[in-house]
Amino acid sequence: MRMNRPQLVALLLLAPAVLNAAPPVGSHISFVSCPIIRDTRSVPCWLSDYRSDRYYLTIQSDVSAEVQPPYLGHKVLVEGVVTDKPQICGGIVMSDVHLSVMPELDANCNEQLPAEDRYVIDFNPRPPGPSAGRLAFAGAPGTPRQAAPPARGPQTINIYFDFDHGVSFRHPSALSSVLNAAKQIGAKRMNIVGVRGAHRLSDGTLLQEAPNTGQRRAQEIAGLLKGAGLDLPGAVTWTSGESDADGVDDWQSRRVTVELLP
Amino acid sequence: MRFPRDLVWFAALLATLLAVGVHNTTAAADGPVDQWWAPGSDRPLPAYVEYDDPAGRIGLVNTAGTITTAGHPFFEPIGTNGRACVTCHQPADGMSVSVATIKRRWEVTAGKDPLFAMIDGANCPNQPAADPASHSLLLGRGLFRIALPWPPRDDKGQVVTPEFTIEVVRDSTGCNSGPEYGINGTRHEISVYRRPRAAVNLRYVASSGFGVSPFIGKTGQLAAVDPETGRPLNMNMMADARKSTLKTQAQSAAHDHLQVAKPLTPEQLTQIQDFELQLYGAQAVSNVAGKLVEPDGPSGIGPEAMAKGRDGVLGNNTTQYVIPMENKWADLPAGKTPAEKARNEFLESVQRGHDVFFYRTFWIKDAMHINSVGLGNPIKRTCATCHGMHMTGMDTANGWMDLGTTNHPYALEPAESPWAKDLPPLPLFKITCREDLPPHPFLGRVIYTQDPGRALISGKCEDVGAIVIQQFRGLAARAPYFSNGSAANLRELVDFYDRRFNIKYTEAEKTDLINFLESL
Repeated sequence: MRMNRPQLVALLLLAPAVLNAAPPVGSHISFVSCPIIRDTRSVPCWLSDYRSDRYYLTIQSDVSAEVQPPYLGHKVLVEGVVTDKPQICGGIVMSDVHLSVMPELDANCNEQLPAEDRYVIDFNPRPPGPSAGRLAFAGAPGTPRQAAPPARGPQTINIYFDFDHGVSFRHPSALSSVLNAAKQIGAKRMNIVGVRGAHRLSDGTLLQEAPNTGQRRAQEIAGLLKGAGLDLPGAVTWTSGESDADGVDDWQSRRVTVELLP
Repeated sequence: MRFPRDLVWFAALLATLLAVGVHNTTAAADGPVDQWWAPGSDRPLPAYVEYDDPAGRIGLVNTAGTITTAGHPFFEPIGTNGRACVTCHQPADGMSVSVATIKRRWEVTAGKDPLFAMIDGANCPNQPAADPASHSLLLGRGLFRIALPWPPRDDKGQVVTPEFTIEVVRDSTGCNSGPEYGINGTRHEISVYRRPRAAVNLRYVASSGFGVSPFIGKTGQLAAVDPETGRPLNMNMMADARKSTLKTQAQSAAHDHLQVAKPLTPEQLTQIQDFELQLYGAQAVSNVAGKLVEPDGPSGIGPEAMAKGRDGVLGNNTTQYVIPMENKWADLPAGKTPAEKARNEFLESVQRGHDVFFYRTFWIKDAMHINSVGLGNPIKRTCATCHGMHMTGMDTANGWMDLGTTNHPYALEPAESPWAKDLPPLPLFKITCREDLPPHPFLGRVIYTQDPGRALISGKCEDVGAIVIQQFRGLAARAPYFSNGSAANLRELVDFYDRRFNIKYTEAEKTDLINFLESL
């Protein structure tokens, strides 16, 4: 098909808009960008810009939050699925959000916005000061806790990491889970595999962790478990990277897998 | 019929108070010098005693009743240098030792008090003992030398491969670059300089009732365990958490500071532990308001409140509070007499200061081990976010953080100039973190610090300058503040936070906050 001159001009004018259109609802999105913090009358909310869109990431809460806020001073790796929910703090809302603070400092990531009347956080589970006496995302007082059934037979436990990071505040619970499972099944052997993660960003870029990351993670987890008294025979190995990064749940590639055998 | 333990000891305390009088002190008549407890003083420590301090009087409660100090390892000079534990943990100084007391001891004894023992009471042991300049950090800031091995060793004494290299940039004391005591010297030590912590209310400090697991909640690393029970510990005992039980701390201190010829016996350690777990202290009297403890007053004020309080409780919430005040000092009557008016105005200021501490939000940014633990950077929170332990204002879990008291760019580091009379008193180190590991999330790979803090034990880059939070009680009796004594008084302490976090406190807020802190 041959286009005449006016058609070509119209297409060229439209192209940026097409390229910059927000991804359709339900699409996976993955990008690295600076986080932005916006104050509100209650807790601050976190946002990030990608292409011409602003995405809502999470709010400040407490350590029980499923999505924990990023850092100014660092870029953040954002993964999520676009939804059609009403915007929060002026940002497109995603589901299945996973955030990972990129380790290197970046002084350009320093945008802190003031509160504006039009941005209201009315679902915050705790105020910015003291709490009401329980974690923000804990069940209401008196809610019976669902106890996990005791582990039986071989167990495989995945421990997930931030990009290029080792053990951090995220891991005491997972590490304790390994200890408990090992005790419950009377583990006699333990295999540990460290994985160097890879990510396919929405612009097609393949983002890989540092080459020694899998090894570093595997050895660190093995050392911590041994230090906590779980000193079992078995293999400690690592991979140099996963090649099937496709931009969907790539955060799961940043992991250590612990296999417990009775 | 069984009485609750609290009730039994409280009845005993009440009887003692009635017998000796609440204001029976060992000090008032003879002036402050006689508040000094010399090792081997052989005098009883009453069940309740008050001592003068700059803001009024501090009260100490011993729940075991009056104890005889003769033969007690906390009070006897059990080492080779004439010191006892009590030398640096003075009852009149809230069981620490204030710089005012240190200066007085220098004047009274011409520098011969065992307090000034060269091992750590001098800037470096190889300096002339009689020269006050050799003790300038102790006399000026109340700092004792802490010599730590390099490379680091963990709490079990195992060598840790550090994630960083360390260089001496400024050797103010001459110790860190010397042939014997220097980092590259024959002893392979690093000398840092720190204040002695308050050996009181230690039931709280040693508690592991909240947020303690085999893995440290803020870092995922292994928590220290009690060698007697195998249980994980909160690691809040010392500035760098290198020892984490009362017994291991006592054994370490006896070796390092008392220079004992042989390790303390199990019986001595138990005696020290028992004593430390039965001693409570807090401000009891205000110069302005008089008695702070009153029958219907706030339940978190005064030494008796400390003795009765629950340990291992998170208080950063509106159900258990850090310092329970119950708004008892809000909206008091104007007062009929000038004294009553002044009292009520002061108590209202204390209440407002509590509210500033508990509710006044500000942006906490770039503070390692608070912004890095899942809350984000920055967070809009309050003082009580970090100072959350019920009754003490410490951290409930493993509580080392980097506020910037020792690290650039926030540490007190006066700009040098040809006209400056005094050079910066503390050493300065350059830390370079390894390239193959993530950098410190807020300070990068090159960090300048006066004291690497927890990193000298853990070897972790992220721990550089991280210091364990101290308790708030008895503050008025034990200036200066922060581990490096960089805040000479509570005003300087509040000003530090104001600058560090750009809080923009009003003058009224600062006054209220100071009145609150000095009433604890």
